[in-house]
Amino acid sequence: MVTSSGLLEMEDNMAAGASINAQYDDDDNYIREQERLLPIANVVRIMKQILPPYAKISKEAKETMQGCVSEFIGFVTCEASEKCRKERRKTVNGDDVCWALETLGLDEYAGPMKRYLHRYREHDRADHRANQEKG
Amino acid sequence: MEEEDNNETILPEFPTGRVKKIMKLDKDINKVNSEALFLVSCSAELFIRFLAEKSAEVTKGKKRRIVKLEHIRIAVQRHRPTSDFLLDSLPLPSQPLDRPITDQIHPRPVTEKPVPAGTRRIDDFFNKSANKSPIQIDNEES
Repeated sequence: MVTSSGLLEMEDNMAAGASINAQYDDDDNYIREQERLLPIANVVRIMKQILPPYAKISKEAKETMQGCVSEFIGFVTCEASEKCRKERRKTVNGDDVCWALETLGLDEYAGPMKRYLHRYREHDRADHRANQEKG
Repeated sequence: MEEEDNNETILPEFPTGRVKKIMKLDKDINKVNSEALFLVSCSAELFIRFLAEKSAEVTKGKKRRIVKLEHIRIAVQRHRPTSDFLLDSLPLPSQPLDRPITDQIHPRPVTEKPVPAGTRRIDDFFNKSANKSPIQIDNEES
C-alpha cells in the first residue's frame, strides 16, 4: 500500500538519484525503484529500532541504506544460485541461502538463519500435518 | 522481528513479493522456494540492523547526531566481508566538507543586537498603532 508520503519519498528518491539506486537492465530500460528496492519506510523503520531515539538519518543515508539492502540480497542470492547450478538443481532452497551466508563470511547472519530455517521447517511440517488430518 | 525461545512465528518486515523481485533481477536465478525467500528476507533485515548499528557507532564517535552517508561508508570499510561486496557500490561523496561545527551548535539568532539607547527599530515606523509600545521580541524564550 503506497501512502501519499510514500509517493513523495519515491519522487524524492528519483530526484536525488543516488548512484547505488540507479539501475538499468540489459536493454537499457530503467528498472523502476518499486522493482529493485525495498520500500524506504520499511528500511527506515528498522534503522530506527537500532538507533538511539535522538539520532536522525540524512536523506542520502536512508537512500543509500535502501540500495545497500538490494546489493546484499543480490549478492547472497547469486552465491546461493551458483551452488545450485553447480549441483544441477533448479530451485534455490533455505540450505543454499545459509551456505551462501557462511561462504561469504557473513557468519553473524548464518547462525541465526540456520535457527530460523529449522523453525520454519517445523512450522511447515506442522501445517502440513494439520492439513492432512483435515482430510 | 524478535527471536524468542517459544514457538512465536517470525515475521519478516518486508513485502515478500518485493524481495522476490529483487532476487530475480539477476537473470541467472532460476527458481527460489519459499524458505529461501523467507531467509533472504530475514537476513536482509539483520543486515540493516547490523549496518545501522555500525554506522551509528561512527556517528557517535564523531560527536554527531545525524547519521550520514560517510558514516555508513566508514562502517562498511571496517567490516571486511561487507566491504567486499558493498564498498564500490556506495555513492561518491556529494559534498567535500562537513558544514562548520559552529553552525551546528550555535545557530545565529535573527535579531542579534539590542538597539542603541534613544533609537528605535525601523520596523517600529511601520506599526500602525503608534500608541502602543513597540513589540518586544524576547530572545531569551525558547
